Amino acid sequence: MSTTTADYKDRQFLAVIGDEDSVTGLLLAGIGHVTAPPDSQKNFLVVDNKTDNATIEATFERFTTERKDIGIVLINQHVADRIRHRMDTYTAAFPTILEIPSKDHPYDPEKDSVLRRVRRLFGE
Amino acid sequence: MAASPGTPADAIDGLLERYLGLVDEYARLRSTLSALQAHVYQAIARANFSAERGIRYGQELYDERMQASRSLAITPGEHDTPKFGVVYHGDKLHGSQGDEKHEAASEAEKEDENQADDEKAKVEKPSDPLKWFGILTPMTLRLAQGKAIEAVEQVIPRLVTLDAEMADVEIRVRRARKKRSKAEAAALKQQQALDSEKAAVEDEAAVDSDKDPETADEKQLASDIEREARTEDEALASKLESTSIS
Repeated sequence: MSTTTADYKDRQFLAVIGDEDSVTGLLLAGIGHVTAPPDSQKNFLVVDNKTDNATIEATFERFTTERKDIGIVLINQHVADRIRHRMDTYTAAFPTILEIPSKDHPYDPEKDSVLRRVRRLFGE
Repeated sequence: MAASPGTPADAIDGLLERYLGLVDEYARLRSTLSALQAHVYQAIARANFSAERGIRYGQELYDERMQASRSLAITPGEHDTPKFGVVYHGDKLHGSQGDEKHEAASEAEKEDENQADDEKAKVEKPSDPLKWFGILTPMTLRLAQGKAIEAVEQVIPRLVTLDAEMADVEIRVRRARKKRSKAEAAALKQQQALDSEKAAVEDEAAVDSDKDPETADEKQLASDIEREARTEDEALASKLESTSIS
């Protein structure tokens, strides 16, 4: 996968889509950013039971397609499951997607897209 | 089949060896990330449990004008794959940029602009996210922050770098496999061509050897006839001779 500097020159933020504790933890590390008004775009989305899939998908689209300042999108694995069809068709090199565990849903290697690629390479 | 050095199979073996090393590191980092996040969740849960007056350390208390103090630094890595890193610039972001821009300006203008820059820096300077939750934040929240920083600075960038490296090796393995299958197909075709050529030569030789016995027989027959004729002639001549003598 050959990439050029232009592909990632301006990508300086990590974005996160996840439950409240996941987002709080990562924002405590200092990755949270709100752009200047009037846009005031956040680089995070807190997902709870009331958040519908359309909102998650729209935010995912915004982070991956519209915004050119995001380099990594962190998403809870159980949230990624809700938009799995979109996750599976995402092939762009930037931003990179990383599925992370959440408090109630531990990391499941079976669902990990990277490990699924490993199995595919070895013909399983 | 043992691979000799320099063959496509050898190249694939080398790539797969590297790939397995990357998979191993990926799995280890995954478990490290899970452990760190478990610590973060536990610490946040403890902080919420001990919070006064039902305060919950969550999105209600986030700063609406937050600025990132940790950002990505992506550089070209091995084989042109991107290498991710996270840098901390909490204390120096937006700091000295203004001074460099306005060197040619007059003193008064400079002072005004510096003042404006200072104000801007004051507004945009990323603050410690712990301050969103009050001045006296619990120790557990600090602990959560420490673990989260460790995950963001050390584990997450390496995981995504590994992901990119693995994707690169996968492409190389598939290319090498394709090259090998092409080479095998070409070798098979060549072998088949050689076999058919050999078979044709053998057929020709068989036809020739079939022809030879026939001619030999014919020659034998001709010589037999000649010999018989000669014997008959000789017998006749001797008969004539004996009759003339008598």
